[in-house]
Amino acid sequence: MEDEQELVAAVLRSMPPADADGGFVARVNARIDAAPGWLGLADFRAWTLGLAPAACALALVAVFWQAPSSASAPALAPASASASAPASAVFSPASSTDWQKDVSADALLEAALAPEGKQP
Amino acid sequence: MDPDRELVTAAAAGSREAFDELVRRHRAAIVTLVGVLTGGRDGADDLAQEVFVRAWRSLPGFRGESTFRTWLHRVAVNLVRTSQVREGRMRRLFAWPSPEETFDPPAPGEPIDASLARREAIQRALASLPAELRVPVTLRDVQGLEYKEIASLLKVPIGTVESRIFRARQRLKPLLEPLWKTNRNS
Repeated sequence: MEDEQELVAAVLRSMPPADADGGFVARVNARIDAAPGWLGLADFRAWTLGLAPAACALALVAVFWQAPSSASAPALAPASASASAPASAVFSPASSTDWQKDVSADALLEAALAPEGKQP
Repeated sequence: MDPDRELVTAAAAGSREAFDELVRRHRAAIVTLVGVLTGGRDGADDLAQEVFVRAWRSLPGFRGESTFRTWLHRVAVNLVRTSQVREGRMRRLFAWPSPEETFDPPAPGEPIDASLARREAIQRALASLPAELRVPVTLRDVQGLEYKEIASLLKVPIGTVESRIFRARQRLKPLLEPLWKTNRNS
């Protein structure tokens, strides 16, 4: 049995190697140097890998941009709101008419639309 | 000690001359291996070239845990496996017929001692084996890798490699008998 195994192995070992012609190295080099071509543009893996650094940079910018702006938001909000928004948009519920049950709809509307500091 | 170590270091640093020399050293073994693993079908030469292209691209990641030769064999086995899986999918998708892998032993008068005919006869015999037997016996007996190297390359225990090679040789025995009779006579 062992002898037969060895005989088979000997036959396999005697298998002549395939002929790789002289152009083999040149063809390998040509493949290495070949540009990916138009089909390469459709390779989503290349796109994903190529765009990963840009995506990371954008994510970092977004995180650092948000952090300071959210910290300063409460301080800036009133000033910017009063500067840019019309008076009607800065409705303040602090007006006394807002809390009265028996106030008419017209009075409530008038209070809401009245400029700041002139509320009844 | 890896006889290719210096060339591998130079090639990993970007030397194309060093890599060309590595291709020259190993091309015959890789073309033979890919030829056997694909059953000698068309496109084996293409796949063999692709093995070296992959090797060139992966060379910076080669850590030298095995010899370059063993590593290159691993690249080849994985590439052939991937290509066969892809081909199998295409076959199922388009209902192509599977290629026949039957063995046609050489006739008594056939000149089996001629180099090309001999190689083809052995290749056909190996192609008749299932892949799980064909790969380890090819790596051991045709390519001359150690059992330990094959086990690490195929990620299976060494005992599994031994038993697969044993079974492969048993199945090859009747197919290769005409050839070893030629071996004895010559």
